Amino acid sequence: MKANTGKIIRVDLNAGAVSIETLPEDYYGKYVGGSGLAAKYFWENGDFNVDALSPEAMLVFMNGPFSGLKLSGASRNSCAGRSPLTGHWADSSCGGFFAPELRFAGFDGIVITGKSPKPSVLLIEDDKIAIVDGTAYWGKGIEGVNTDLKKKYGKNYRTVVIGPAGENLVKFAGIMNEGHHVFGRAGFGAVMGSKNLKAIVVKAEKKEMDLADPVKYEKLRKELNPKMKAALAASLLHENGTAANLEGGAFTGDVPVKNWTSNFWEGMADALTGSTLSEKYLTKRGACAYCGIVCKRVVEVKEGPFAIPEGPGPEYETIVAYGSLIGSLDLAATCKANKICNDMGMDTISSGVTIAWAMEAFEKGDITEADTDGIKLNWGDMETVINIVLPKMAKREGKIGALLAEGSVAAAEKIGKGSISYTTHSKRLEAPMHDPRGGGHGMALTYAMSARGACHVADPMLFVEMGSCFWPEIGFEFELEPKTDENKPEAAVMSIEMGALENSACFCQFADREVTIPEWLELFNTVPGYKWEIPDMMKAGRRVFYLKRLINYRYGLTAKDDDLTPRMLEPARDGEPEGVEINFTGMKEKFYKLMNMDPEKGIPSKTALAEYGLGDEAARVW
Amino acid sequence: MEFWKDSNEAVTAISKMWENVGKDAELREGARKVNQLILFDYTESGPDCAVWVDCRKDAFVIGTGKPPDTPDLTMSLSADDAHRSWMNKLNPVMAITRKKIRVKGSATGLLKLVPKLKKVAVIYAQTLTDLGWADKIMK
Repeated sequence: MKANTGKIIRVDLNAGAVSIETLPEDYYGKYVGGSGLAAKYFWENGDFNVDALSPEAMLVFMNGPFSGLKLSGASRNSCAGRSPLTGHWADSSCGGFFAPELRFAGFDGIVITGKSPKPSVLLIEDDKIAIVDGTAYWGKGIEGVNTDLKKKYGKNYRTVVIGPAGENLVKFAGIMNEGHHVFGRAGFGAVMGSKNLKAIVVKAEKKEMDLADPVKYEKLRKELNPKMKAALAASLLHENGTAANLEGGAFTGDVPVKNWTSNFWEGMADALTGSTLSEKYLTKRGACAYCGIVCKRVVEVKEGPFAIPEGPGPEYETIVAYGSLIGSLDLAATCKANKICNDMGMDTISSGVTIAWAMEAFEKGDITEADTDGIKLNWGDMETVINIVLPKMAKREGKIGALLAEGSVAAAEKIGKGSISYTTHSKRLEAPMHDPRGGGHGMALTYAMSARGACHVADPMLFVEMGSCFWPEIGFEFELEPKTDENKPEAAVMSIEMGALENSACFCQFADREVTIPEWLELFNTVPGYKWEIPDMMKAGRRVFYLKRLINYRYGLTAKDDDLTPRMLEPARDGEPEGVEINFTGMKEKFYKLMNMDPEKGIPSKTALAEYGLGDEAARVW
Repeated sequence: MEFWKDSNEAVTAISKMWENVGKDAELREGARKVNQLILFDYTESGPDCAVWVDCRKDAFVIGTGKPPDTPDLTMSLSADDAHRSWMNKLNPVMAITRKKIRVKGSATGLLKLVPKLKKVAVIYAQTLTDLGWADKIMK
């Protein structure tokens, strides 16, 4: 086995036991790594009948085959399992520095079950692995715990930590790496919390990798790194972060305003865009391991009610979720909300969307002060959001904290009064900050098809519709118009296959836009040595997508769950997409046919599964 | 070339368009925010086929051929694709991805102008009409 180590750490917190497990080699060539490999492991070993927050639930961290390479964007990690927020399969990707350290320590992943009798920390120092007491860290914010762990073990020890939100089982709690990079989506911080696992700390002495063809790979690396760095998108990301093009999105109607009631707010183009963040609050830039793009923000708000010391700055998703989505154009407030979410360990997308839903519910009278402990939830009231709502959510404090900590869908189900109609989600995962009505109709389709729920990074459809993907080697030569359904199902098929590859390879979607299909192939063949031709590679992507469909089917999801909410599909009320309707049903029907999926069950046909080497899996569901 | 008799036509139309853009208060303000010397390099369609716009330090100076300083941003494309792009008939992201447009330098400022391209397209069409080239307008 090359690049991958073939070994994972198996942790049973019930027994306080750690063991090393060797994975079958054929898993790698079939499921690539990352979320694909996690899905395969989960399919074979997970207990589908247990609650996501029960001790028996399985939490998986999995590297991709490129983790540890000195290659921009290549060292992310995927966290996966049953989501406490959605109740079905989810995976959540994180950049930063965790993945390469784990690889250098000798492992492709960590699989955790059980519940520690007291707060604990998983300490990995190469092959010396221990579950140690974490009582001293429990109840504390991520920032302080990250600092304390580094003080105790050493600054080069890499950390993943949960905050009070994870401890309090907030359904959208995240996990932070180095206090800056986040496994944000789907609530895996709560899964760690339910296991009394406060942190994982990892350190490797050696930094070695054994590659299939190091000479060829090194030549490719020397071509790819400068190309990725020099790309226009990369230079924009470097200069102004992931919100660099918020201005463009504001005018196309891609950026949601006030819980998706509007697609246009002219003021946000200047107020919230990445260049404004740079001008006003940026102090320096940061990067994930070995990445030359350096798109991360470090900010400081020197004065005013939302002053914060220098620290991690908000990404695009946070800027919109704690900006236009909740009716605010105050970027300083966004920076502070980001800091609180990071420290408490909460996904800024789900938390922001939940607050936006609650603000609309309050405006409509569906939620009253009787539901909020007397707190008024008014659009753009960032003082209330920052000083009252976020801390209460993280601690599940009072009625409002308990309600919103469940996420927008569960909260709407509890409140009733038709408030579910103005939630914005698919499969119970709150939608990200790209509105398909303005950003591209194909995204409506891919949000609905994503296994974890509404997601803009399950596949690169956002970039596909923008025009920044061109894959002639696999037949993708479409010239797409974002606000139509023309060729979108066909494009979505390729986007989803590529997305499954990206997320299984744990590659950053911002960096890899410059990687061509032949270069992808060469990476897979020179690093882990999968010996693929292009069709084998694309087949692996499709196989991963199919397998996640099967997992969700075992959780009770069917074709009817591949849907968006009425709010997301109603014609836009203003802005460039005003009045345009998305042909969601038409796109979905076509997509199902192209992917050979059953229109009722929502899973691939028996024939399709057999064709993709999933015959054994088919026997479980057909 | 598909749209131009020669490269002079392209330079004339596009430089004249920029002059008209400068007369629009909103676009002028947008250009001020860009604060860059931008070179539109169409030399693949002819040796001196280039237009530059200098909007540094509140200036708005238009020229053709080689710019006076090193440009902050250079966009290289054919004169035909320039025509398509100013008519708003060429997706700039797609054109960059497919190497029809090559970009050198910081495009941050230019992003501020992208939302205004529809308005620029109207001015461009009027410019072509004024020059007696209405037949070049793409429907």
